[in-house]
Amino acid sequence: MTTNTADITLRLFGPLRTAIGQSEVRLSCVDGTVMDALSAFVAEQGEAARPFVFDERGNQRRSVILLLNGEPVADARTARLRAGDMLDLLLPLAGG
Amino acid sequence: MTAFSEDQIERYSRHIVLPEVGGRGQRKLLSASVLVVGAGGLGSPVALYLAAAGVGTIGLVDSDTVELSNLQRQVLHTTTDVGAPKCHSAAASIEAINPDVRVIPHTVRLTSANALDIIPAYDVVVDGSDNFPTRYLVNDACVMSGRPLSHAGILRFEGQVTTIVPGRGPCYRCLYPDPPAPGMVPSCQEAGILGATAGVIGSIQAVEVLKLLLGIGASLTGRLLLFDSLGMTFREVQIARNRDCAVCGDRPTITELVDYEEFCGLAGALRSGKELTP
Repeated sequence: MTTNTADITLRLFGPLRTAIGQSEVRLSCVDGTVMDALSAFVAEQGEAARPFVFDERGNQRRSVILLLNGEPVADARTARLRAGDMLDLLLPLAGG
Repeated sequence: MTAFSEDQIERYSRHIVLPEVGGRGQRKLLSASVLVVGAGGLGSPVALYLAAAGVGTIGLVDSDTVELSNLQRQVLHTTTDVGAPKCHSAAASIEAINPDVRVIPHTVRLTSANALDIIPAYDVVVDGSDNFPTRYLVNDACVMSGRPLSHAGILRFEGQVTTIVPGRGPCYRCLYPDPPAPGMVPSCQEAGILGATAGVIGSIQAVEVLKLLLGIGASLTGRLLLFDSLGMTFREVQIARNRDCAVCGDRPTITELVDYEEFCGLAGALRSGKELTP
């Protein structure tokens, strides 16, 4: 069995950008899906990122919009990544 | 049909000369009513531009008083207004710009108990609130009463804006079915806001409302516009109506207004005395 590595870029918006202190994070995801990338991101960033992305049970939160190369991700568990992909994580903004 | 006065012809001449507006469009604006929820960073530019444009009736919902820290972005209010109810200072600013406009102040907090008494009385609603419970409440009440809604949010150097037309596109819950975990999205008080960013996004909301009232152009229905003032970029994200949406889906499960603090997980925070809004 062969494994592939996809180097992708996560672009962070809103409060997630503030929490992580970066607007972009580069990740290497082995043979990955979008969910793998989210897990890798959380593993790397720890508690600064986890509550934005996953709930207490480890389910993906529905308050995050995922865009893969600008297109909405219907199912993070099945959407596959390729090298050079851009994954955007959008969160709602409360301020007015 | 009421004829324009000479003053009105001069005041609105730059609108009337536009073929897309004309005298007929200006009359539409003068007979229209818009509810602005929140007389703050977003509500200020929205209300000022709608007033200047001659929107005949502007309702304002805000229960806060003006604070000195508001004045960096909330351009409806002035230094002498500090301590005054925002609805009162906003009404004075609007009436000073355009005496054609009737202002209806709602010096209350919008709640599940009063939203459906207030919102259906207006043609279009603008969400310039500053917390998630109110944002979901306004969305649901607009969907239930069939009122178009201009939604926007801002934080630090960023803004998001979209237009929700019930029955013709996605609603706020289609976009964000659930709120973020409590405390994860800071307020402008906590994280800051570049004041002029509110001006950009609020001005876009005003444009959207005027287009809806006039029936011209392409609205942001089904599109979320993202603004990054640091990079000075605009991006557009296509958003689709969610057929499983709890409020506007094919089989809605939310058919009456709910407890929005509880929905947003803030009931405990409120009970403990934590402030809900900045």
